[in-house]
Amino acid sequence: MTSILSTGFAGLTLDRVSAKQGRARFQALCLALRPDLLRFAFWLCHDHALAEDVVQESMLRAWKAQDSLEDEKAAKPWLVTIVRRELARTFERKRLNTVNIDDLVELEDTSLAAGDQTDLAEMRAAIFKLPQEYREPLVMQSLLGYSTAEIARELHLSQSAVLSRLFRARHQLRALCGEDMSEDPQE
Amino acid sequence: MMHHEQYRRAVLANPLGNDPELEAHRAHCEECRTFTGGVLAFEHRLVRALRVTTPYSARILPFGSRTAVRHAKGGRWLALAASTAIAFVVAAGIWLTPRSSLAADVVAHMAGEPAAWKGHAALSAGELAPVLKRANMTLDPKAPSVSYANSCDFRGQIVPHLVVQSPRGPVTVMVLIHESVSKASQFDEQGYRGTILPVPQHGSIAVLMKEPGTTAAEIDAIAAQVRSAIVWGSSRSVIER
Repeated sequence: MTSILSTGFAGLTLDRVSAKQGRARFQALCLALRPDLLRFAFWLCHDHALAEDVVQESMLRAWKAQDSLEDEKAAKPWLVTIVRRELARTFERKRLNTVNIDDLVELEDTSLAAGDQTDLAEMRAAIFKLPQEYREPLVMQSLLGYSTAEIARELHLSQSAVLSRLFRARHQLRALCGEDMSEDPQE
Repeated sequence: MMHHEQYRRAVLANPLGNDPELEAHRAHCEECRTFTGGVLAFEHRLVRALRVTTPYSARILPFGSRTAVRHAKGGRWLALAASTAIAFVVAAGIWLTPRSSLAADVVAHMAGEPAAWKGHAALSAGELAPVLKRANMTLDPKAPSVSYANSCDFRGQIVPHLVVQSPRGPVTVMVLIHESVSKASQFDEQGYRGTILPVPQHGSIAVLMKEPGTTAAEIDAIAAQVRSAIVWGSSRSVIER
């Protein structure tokens, strides 16, 4: 346990905080970020249960690797990276069956629409119809508040490529949602 | 000079961007201002759609149990002692410091909704009313103008998330009807300063700012003003999910 703290999570050394405080601080951080990590995983895998499993496993990996997090402010991108890798591992391991996207949207739409407004349910169904390469940067920007540079870094793309994907994502989403696009630029 | 098409492509790629070139174009182009308004309204819906409800289990971390399992390989009694100690520390932490975790959750929610801070224009009554109505509340007409309003998932409940414009800058207000607190408590986390105030019969409200240099007294004054501007419906507030 000493090793966890002696390296200085959040820049705090063993001289300044006790092991108990370090643990509690890390847990509080994970607790605060967990809902958005679950949402992020959900939008990538379309499956609530799988998203929970992936985030659970990611949290354990984060716990074991917390030495590598030197700056608490970097916790969110650090955890997002862990979730993305865990999701990729899961897909690789399970070789998940592919399904018809329209069937999937119908299923997800029904579960999501419960207790929510119709226009949001429609928007959610439309988000699922976006290709993954557009959906992922869109979720990172609009849900997680990532900048273009941060998305580019995470996805190993140039910033102009990210902006192009984000434009196409919203352009397609607006079309899917039946927005008035008479003033929109062409894709 | 930027063309309309260039501007609109950029806005669709990053609706909340604050590029000076985009702002200059917007300032001189009525059509693109109107276009931007439509894109921002769409973005608002998109953010709400993305914030799907997370299960209550999202608040349960796996650390304690897995740590105990790993220790079991080295000795059953050591594992039992360790897991008991960890459980005690976690339970004591949760029990003894409920306010700090509530503040951390509020701050985390802010971080997940960056669009909230961007706008400065006052919402129309039509835009604001559904959010307030869902919480069985209204705002006194003399309340500061509201530039953002959303019904947000917070700790498994749908609560009003407002941004009001004060002389000191934008102030976020979350009406936490399901979170009762016994007394006011201030917090300073991740660049946000704020306070959580009890509201008898209606839980509490969290008020926070990210303006550097804001004093605790100023936040208290703003929080008191906001609390007094809320007019509650006749029955106790209940928000259906």
